[in-house]
Amino acid sequence: MSMKKVILSALAALTMVVSPLYASEPTTGLEVMKLVEARDDGDDLIQKMTQRLIDKRGNVREREMISFRKDYGLDSKSVTYFLSPANVRDTAMLTWDYADEAKDDDQWLYLPALKKVRRISSSDRGDYFMGTDFTFEDIKQTPELSDYNWTLVGSDTVDGADVWVVDAEPKTSDLKKDLGYSKVRYYVRKDIDMYIKVDFWDRKGKELKHLVSTDIKQVDGIWTAMGGVMNNVQTHHKTELTFSGHQYNTGLSDRMFTERMIKRGYRGK
Amino acid sequence: MNKLFTWILEHPKSVLVMLFVLTAVSLNAMRSIHIETDVDAMLPKHSDAYINKQVLDDTFGSSDLVIVGILNEEKGIYNEHTLSLVQELTDWMGEQPLLRTLSLNDLLSLATIKDIQGSASGLDVQPFMDGVPKTKEEIEHLKQRMREFGIYEDVIVSADGVGTILAVRPQPNARETYAEIYDLVKNKVDELEARGGGEKFFISGRPVIEGVFGVYMPQEMKRMQPIIIALLILLLYVSFRSPRGVVLPLLTVLIAEVWTVGTMAALGYNIYTITTMLPILIMAIGIADAVHFLSRERLLAHFSKYSHRKERIIEVMHELWKPMVMTSVTTAVGFLSMLTSDLPPIQEFGMFAALGVAYALVITLLLFPAALMLLPEKNGHADKKPMFTDYVDWTSKVIIEYPKRIMVMFAILVAVSLYGLSLIKVDASMVAQFKPNDPVRHADTVLNQHFSGTTSLDVMIDTGKENGLLEPAFLQKIVELQTEIEKDPVVGDTSSIAEFLMVMNKALNEDNPDYYRVPDSSDLAAQYLLLYSFSGAPDDFETFMTSDYRKAHVRINMKTDSTDAVASLLTKLRNKTDVWFPASEGYKVDWAGTGYTLDALAKMIIDGQITSLALSIFAIFLLCLVMFKRLLIAVVAMIPVTLAVTVNYGTMGNLGIPLDLATALTGSMALGIGVDFAIHYLHRYHEESVANHSYEESVINTNHSVGHAILFNTIVVVGGFLVLLSANLYPQMKLGALIAATMIICYAATVYLFPVLLGLGKDKIKV
Repeated sequence: MSMKKVILSALAALTMVVSPLYASEPTTGLEVMKLVEARDDGDDLIQKMTQRLIDKRGNVREREMISFRKDYGLDSKSVTYFLSPANVRDTAMLTWDYADEAKDDDQWLYLPALKKVRRISSSDRGDYFMGTDFTFEDIKQTPELSDYNWTLVGSDTVDGADVWVVDAEPKTSDLKKDLGYSKVRYYVRKDIDMYIKVDFWDRKGKELKHLVSTDIKQVDGIWTAMGGVMNNVQTHHKTELTFSGHQYNTGLSDRMFTERMIKRGYRGK
Repeated sequence: MNKLFTWILEHPKSVLVMLFVLTAVSLNAMRSIHIETDVDAMLPKHSDAYINKQVLDDTFGSSDLVIVGILNEEKGIYNEHTLSLVQELTDWMGEQPLLRTLSLNDLLSLATIKDIQGSASGLDVQPFMDGVPKTKEEIEHLKQRMREFGIYEDVIVSADGVGTILAVRPQPNARETYAEIYDLVKNKVDELEARGGGEKFFISGRPVIEGVFGVYMPQEMKRMQPIIIALLILLLYVSFRSPRGVVLPLLTVLIAEVWTVGTMAALGYNIYTITTMLPILIMAIGIADAVHFLSRERLLAHFSKYSHRKERIIEVMHELWKPMVMTSVTTAVGFLSMLTSDLPPIQEFGMFAALGVAYALVITLLLFPAALMLLPEKNGHADKKPMFTDYVDWTSKVIIEYPKRIMVMFAILVAVSLYGLSLIKVDASMVAQFKPNDPVRHADTVLNQHFSGTTSLDVMIDTGKENGLLEPAFLQKIVELQTEIEKDPVVGDTSSIAEFLMVMNKALNEDNPDYYRVPDSSDLAAQYLLLYSFSGAPDDFETFMTSDYRKAHVRINMKTDSTDAVASLLTKLRNKTDVWFPASEGYKVDWAGTGYTLDALAKMIIDGQITSLALSIFAIFLLCLVMFKRLLIAVVAMIPVTLAVTVNYGTMGNLGIPLDLATALTGSMALGIGVDFAIHYLHRYHEESVANHSYEESVINTNHSVGHAILFNTIVVVGGFLVLLSANLYPQMKLGALIAATMIICYAATVYLFPVLLGLGKDKIKV
């Protein structure tokens, strides 16, 4: 259990003592999202990922990669190696992700055909990630809570699970422009504090994308979505992600997350 | 037939009610009429230009962009004020629901395009402008980066730095919003311009041109219709001097018009530019039947041959239905020959013009008898000498006294026209349809002077295999193709994925200019694109290649859409691409875009023109043969129209008026209308001959009786079409002037040349 989770559980326990009736029920959107943020996602993780990019004509481009992530307090580092297609095999990306908003993330890419590691400019939150339908903001575990006005719209059921419906509206028009959204709606499962469906509206207020998480189960005691589909209803482009081979908390070494290592390529099984 | 006529006369009220109901139904149907301005929709659906355009839009995104140019002649665009306007306009566009602004290629401007720059440690993909640059250094940096990056110079910023453009896509499949988009953008830039500051704004691009066209067309229809009606009222009043003489013919043509347009709408046909001339045409032609009917009825009433008006009207119908049907059939056949054209607008124009002629005939035969039965009998018709009687008598004198001079004059006319025929050109240009001082055409001209060009031409190359376009050899050929294309002075710029890969290759090799070349291996190219996708958007290159890296798109911006320029460039390039991308190696090269569409359109106009003219001349000849039962007379009957058509096209050649969608129609139209003159004339002349009158007497008598009718008919047609000269769009003006001129020639050939020809030979020709 991560530190955050421990503190939050403690806080939750405390609240329960103070107001025993409906104590565990959050009453605002922000409270729901704080539970989401505090959800345990392991201290480190190895997983395989398959990306299927499907364009409006149904053409599919598939990529396979394996990624390693390790948390350093609120910061984290990750490495992703491309396994296929053949022409990008052994390409590797190293990211140092800082919680401090003022500090840009660091990113390096190793290109085997060039045999060089190259730094790449940090991306804006609204930029699309690796040609998928996810933006950099979307792939974060939780959005930056202080950037949005949160509203608890109510409760609903999605795929038979009870969910809170929480609307997020970027606080300023600059934020709306940066993120590319005017509104986002999260459907958060009450039992596991995990959002399983997200709707996005573009800057003009038009329906833009839908994210649906699939195949949610516990791996090493941590709730994990084994798949996710992001469907852009405007471009009719779709991204399907499938995850496999999860290993949580294996104690990855710091050495893995260096420039030197990504040049060597992925060796392990 | 007589039974039918009698029935009409016995049930005049039922006939009028039926006409009224049908007209109401048509009026109701007209509300659903749809105006089509898409030039691609003017191509047949099976033509490769049409198919390729669909493939292009579907595969690489539409290349039809609204273009807004900002020029600052005084200070250039590299100053805080101008750049802040660019930023403001870009942000504003991003918020407009009518515009599609999902990705970079949907909205290109200085404020959206991205710079790819190398540094010692890596690659930077950043917008050229991250907000409006404030300091002198920032602005200087922007200017320098634009120059070094190169790809967008001349495209987004003019080479002299005086202007910049914004190019934005309308939402897909929303052509009906194009006019609205133009108004929206126009209002916005007017507001920006009104703030002062020396910037001038210019709006163009294909959606704008098509949108404005769509607005002009119905406007012009609405504006010109009353003028033509007023003209008809005047002419009818001068001729008949009675309310019924004005109202009945006018009602006839208006009802025919409503029925025709109503039928079009009910059957789901679209209105094209040229279709807007249909009502005027139906008016000009339909009036002839009405006038003939009324003249004859008045003549019989005048001589009081029939005591009962029912008998008199039956006699009129009995006498007239055959010639009226004959002339209507020949006119309709002239129009129906347009069906041989490959182009839907021309086909539909011919089809509905023929239908309109038929409607006018039916309405005349129903409305006149019924109305005349119900209207009170008038006694003592004005017994005035018809107008122009002196002139008509003068023509007879001239014909008899100076046949040789008449022959010589026509011979000269034919010689000049034949020379003109050799000079005739085709031009399907959209921009050239606007008058030179029209704001849209002016804006287009200015934008073409400063930037790479507003007309798109597109090459799509299928390499035949996945990842095929990443091959260094292929990319190198693309570069060479672009170099070759850019040599042509009408080409402003070309762009392709090869350029971006070259920039990335340089950026990732410490910005060393030696590396400004295509990547050395296919894998390297793939990895560059992957690398780019970490900082760029997924669809930044969507317009240049398919996601499986199999098909590439080279975009060409041309500074003109004139058919000559496009055709010669295409021929030259096809020869190159056949060699560079041979089908034997699995390549497939397809062309598309506005330039290509217009080129295809031009070719089909010519092909269709020749076939349809030849066919209609032949068909009308056959009809005349059936009617007159003598080969020689059928041949003679064809002379005035053939001559008029020759003079028509000859004049176009001599005056440099190109064949386009509208002017291409003039031949068949003139033929269809003009042949009526010949038939009327020959009919009368025949009767004179049968009565054993001498040649001179026959000429004088024929002139007396049909000379007037033909003259009136000519004046109506010429007058109606001359109203088109007041149009806002060139095609309508040109068509109006040409038809008017052709009808005058046709009149002259019928009234002057005909009798001269009939007077040839020792025994004169007997009809």
